[in-house]
Amino acid sequence: MRWRHKDLLDLDNLSAQEIELVLQSALSMKEVLFRPIKKLPTLRGKSIALMFYENSTRTRTSFETAAKILGADVTNFSVAQSSVNKGESLLDTAKTLQAMNIDLVIIRHACSGASEFLAKQLKAGVINGGDGQHAHPTQALLDFFTMKERWGEFKGKKVLIVGDILHSRVAHSNALGLKKLGAEVVLIGPPTLLPPEMSYLGVKTSYDLDSELPGADAVMALRLQLERQQSGLFPSLREYNRLYGLTREKIAKTGKDTIILHPGPLNRGVEISSDLADSVQSVIEEQVTNGVAVRMALIYLLIGGTSNVMA
Amino acid sequence: MLWLKNVHLVDPGQGISDKASLLIKDGKVAKVCRGEKQLTEEEVLATLGVSELKEVSQVDGEGKFLFPGLVDVHVHFREPGQEDKEDINSGSRAAVRGGFTSVLAMANTQPVIDTRALVEFVRLQGERAGLARVYPVGAVTKGFQGRELTEMVDLQKGGAVAFSDDGLGIQSAETMRLALEYAKLTGCPLISHCEDNSLAGQGVMRKGEASARLGLKGIPASAESVMVARDALLAGETGGKVHIAHVSTKESVWIIRTAKKLGINISAEVNPHHLLLTDEDVQLTDTSYKVNPPLPNREDQEALLEGLLDGTLDMLATDHAPHTWEEKMRPFAEAPFGINGLEAALAALWQELVLKGKMKPEKLIELWSLNPAKRFALQGGSLKAGSPADMVLFDPKWREKITAESLESKAQNTPFLEKELQGFPIMVWVEGKLVMENRKIVGKK
Repeated sequence: MRWRHKDLLDLDNLSAQEIELVLQSALSMKEVLFRPIKKLPTLRGKSIALMFYENSTRTRTSFETAAKILGADVTNFSVAQSSVNKGESLLDTAKTLQAMNIDLVIIRHACSGASEFLAKQLKAGVINGGDGQHAHPTQALLDFFTMKERWGEFKGKKVLIVGDILHSRVAHSNALGLKKLGAEVVLIGPPTLLPPEMSYLGVKTSYDLDSELPGADAVMALRLQLERQQSGLFPSLREYNRLYGLTREKIAKTGKDTIILHPGPLNRGVEISSDLADSVQSVIEEQVTNGVAVRMALIYLLIGGTSNVMA
Repeated sequence: MLWLKNVHLVDPGQGISDKASLLIKDGKVAKVCRGEKQLTEEEVLATLGVSELKEVSQVDGEGKFLFPGLVDVHVHFREPGQEDKEDINSGSRAAVRGGFTSVLAMANTQPVIDTRALVEFVRLQGERAGLARVYPVGAVTKGFQGRELTEMVDLQKGGAVAFSDDGLGIQSAETMRLALEYAKLTGCPLISHCEDNSLAGQGVMRKGEASARLGLKGIPASAESVMVARDALLAGETGGKVHIAHVSTKESVWIIRTAKKLGINISAEVNPHHLLLTDEDVQLTDTSYKVNPPLPNREDQEALLEGLLDGTLDMLATDHAPHTWEEKMRPFAEAPFGINGLEAALAALWQELVLKGKMKPEKLIELWSLNPAKRFALQGGSLKAGSPADMVLFDPKWREKITAESLESKAQNTPFLEKELQGFPIMVWVEGKLVMENRKIVGKK
């Protein structure tokens, strides 16, 4: 199978086979990560621009590491925080990148659709590193990779995604992709963070974590933005934690060897207890490692040529 | 002097939808001759008071409709202050090209139209443009602050025909109540932009499955409807006269229907884009679909059409909201709200509603000419003998692609850009003066 996309903006237009192709490519990339010399000549002479309009150390570092291992030259564009109506417009930034003949742009932006906007303007490939509340496809793909490593396949697996579903691009991309891969997904959160329109994802939704736990193969906690309390979306961390915080006691109710995921960074004691986060069931650190491998695979697929076989 | 022959006159004000000939003299309709019967030369000469036929322009309107000029009670001409988006001259050109002979220019300019001097400026700029009749809308509150009322009586003397803080909802119910009371001194309707800011929040499109799918912050339907309910109740309690701008939810339609049954003095308008597009049409990278109130869902759209057809909703209005290309070429959340409406609206509704049998031409003209003229006590709205000759000759077969180059408006933020539509005005007269012919502006002072 050949990769036919210029960009990776969302999982909407990827087939299950294409997702599997990314995961398969990431497997060989992961092997490289454990070599003593972590450097490939594959993308020597290719230029990659990182444009992070939102704060993110881990995602940016993950992309940067992935690009450097593949031998590409990486430029970090320093872009002002939330630069609405300030400084250069995204359109002009796109024109600048075009003029520099960059091969691949990785963008994170607070506005949904910012990566698609850029992709329409640029000949270069674009990877969406997270856009508004819309999509975070690379996070979802690394989550799938982590699950697949444990399970081998997705059919018949039950995945709970717990927390602030409304604002979570991670939840949206995960639900979309897992559905395509054949897993059963349940979105769980309080009604204020799980509004009825989430029905668009076509997966089960529930306000009750406890009743969904039995049989769950994976439980993913989402990071809770603590400032949402001030907006009245939940009354207190105490009540949130009691209802939706993941603990060893709650996870024991699955009756399975359940894996625990979290896109990070963690609010320990809020959406996940420390002992659970650090337990053997937790794959949170593996997610970070796999993030690099999956991003290497994606960068390679987008600008590394047409073959999916690594040198 | 003008002799219009063989047109199909659609004039709900006279109950006419029939073959007709009209004679125009001194800017007014001198005679309407209904039916197949042709005027004789002698009748024409006698009515117009001339001795020779060569003194009379003749237009043969075979196969065309003649409408009273359309009246649009909701446009943003951006002058003074934002002339890069539009000005009163370019807006007037866009208006007559779209078939509109009268427009109400909203007050959310920079500065806000909150003094008589500014009202007179808008009116005079309209007169200088010399095309459509431009009626200023005065602000309800000074500086759109939502607190102190403007000098409504003085604004009216300067030419204001209505009052509105359109662009913003008046958040304080007490301010709205007082405004409805005070505006009684003028007899003018208060146009309410219904939007509860706490509910609308930072939303950029209608809250629903489409907004969730696109990851865009949603504006719940209630952000509009709760304020429609409030203003209906306040109008009822005060006996004031309220007009609800850009109704876009089914709940608002229910409320207005009930309010009318209760005898409350309330009227309402619908924007064409709310009848033609839904939230499912919104695309992340096409901000010409970003408008406030946001594009509704299918159920709302059906309720809006039903409301127009059963008389709950009184009129159509474009909410012509031009923005520069640069402003709209931004990520969806960062682009301003607004659709450029004047030049595509009539054709779009003709094609999608009239040609598809959902609305009769007579109803369309009632909603876009007669009713708005009546509600806002304006000239026009009908072509009875003695009325001003504000007229549109409309070719139902004319097809045209909407392009950036062809638009008279300075802006091009319309979802109909690059789309071909059918049914356009081909001649427009304001007070008997030809201002548009064959889709081009003519006779500008």
